Amino acid sequence: MTRARAGAGRAVGACLGTLLLAGLLVACGHSAPPWGLRDITGLMPPLDFTLTEASDGATVHGKDFQGHVVLLYFGYTHCPDVCPTTLSRIACAVAALGPQAEQVRVLFVTVDPARDTLAQLKTYAAAFGPQIVGLRGSQDEIKALTKRYRVSYGYGKPDAHGDYEVSHSSAVYVFDREGEVRLLADSTAEAAVITGDLKRLLAE
Amino acid sequence: MKQALLSALLLAVTMVAQAGAPPVTVSDARIRWLPGDLPMAGYFSITSHASGPTKLVGAASPDFGHVMLHRSVHEGGMARMVHVDGVDLAPGQTVTFVPGSYHLMLMQRKKDLQPGEEVPVTLRFGDGETLEVPFRVEGAQGE
Repeated sequence: MTRARAGAGRAVGACLGTLLLAGLLVACGHSAPPWGLRDITGLMPPLDFTLTEASDGATVHGKDFQGHVVLLYFGYTHCPDVCPTTLSRIACAVAALGPQAEQVRVLFVTVDPARDTLAQLKTYAAAFGPQIVGLRGSQDEIKALTKRYRVSYGYGKPDAHGDYEVSHSSAVYVFDREGEVRLLADSTAEAAVITGDLKRLLAE
Repeated sequence: MKQALLSALLLAVTMVAQAGAPPVTVSDARIRWLPGDLPMAGYFSITSHASGPTKLVGAASPDFGHVMLHRSVHEGGMARMVHVDGVDLAPGQTVTFVPGSYHLMLMQRKKDLQPGEEVPVTLRFGDGETLEVPFRVEGAQGE
């Protein structure tokens, strides 16, 4: 009985937990507590890229997102487990900000442009929430960006159907409103912790 | 709601009692929905009630052209998926297929699916026995 009920309320429950825990973290905070995520301020260059936005096909640059707190994540749409898990966790963390969520952008950059058309990337990003921005580029453009943040990606051998796996970085980079790199969230970062840090960055 | 809970309960009982089925129970079976024809991940919890070792070796569904046992691996800041030949179950052991670890990779969708629908998935075991389990399609968001 409990099992069926837990299934029906999972999506709501996951985000609700984030809200409650984020509230607690804020309530217990000191004047200058350490960041919940890894502080990488100054260790990497500011946000800069030239890519195509999936929602409208427009060319966008890193500076176009200044004024927003930005989360940067690399993945691909044929990724049914790790990417949706990461994106839904981030979406929960951002949704927990309430009206301030509008000041946050989550950039999902595909490292599999051969399969990820703009249309496909658009519907994939939209499935996770309004703040998720799907971005696509040429291999050169993607390589420039991944190299800039010292991450790599690679393709597995295609199977009989032409399907292949893609290995990609688990990291989510967080930039402040000025486009300076500040924090790094790994695959274990909890939504409530991300929310807490985003609140602090938004308050700067 | 009450009826849904009752049928879920009956189903759970049926799964154990089904003739020719392995002595296992499966719970929390769900699929994370993704748009279009993108591969989706299936998650569940499986417990063996057998007196000896059991092995889950594969899965299939009439709604998908291809279903694989996969596991996501995180190494050195990188994530990748690896194919799994089988999952061993010791007597009494529970193995959970959860986000970021073991999952079913459901590929080549044969029909449009939306959150709220149910998909039949047949789990196949090492001794040739099979078990059909309904997987509920859930939204893209949520852990």
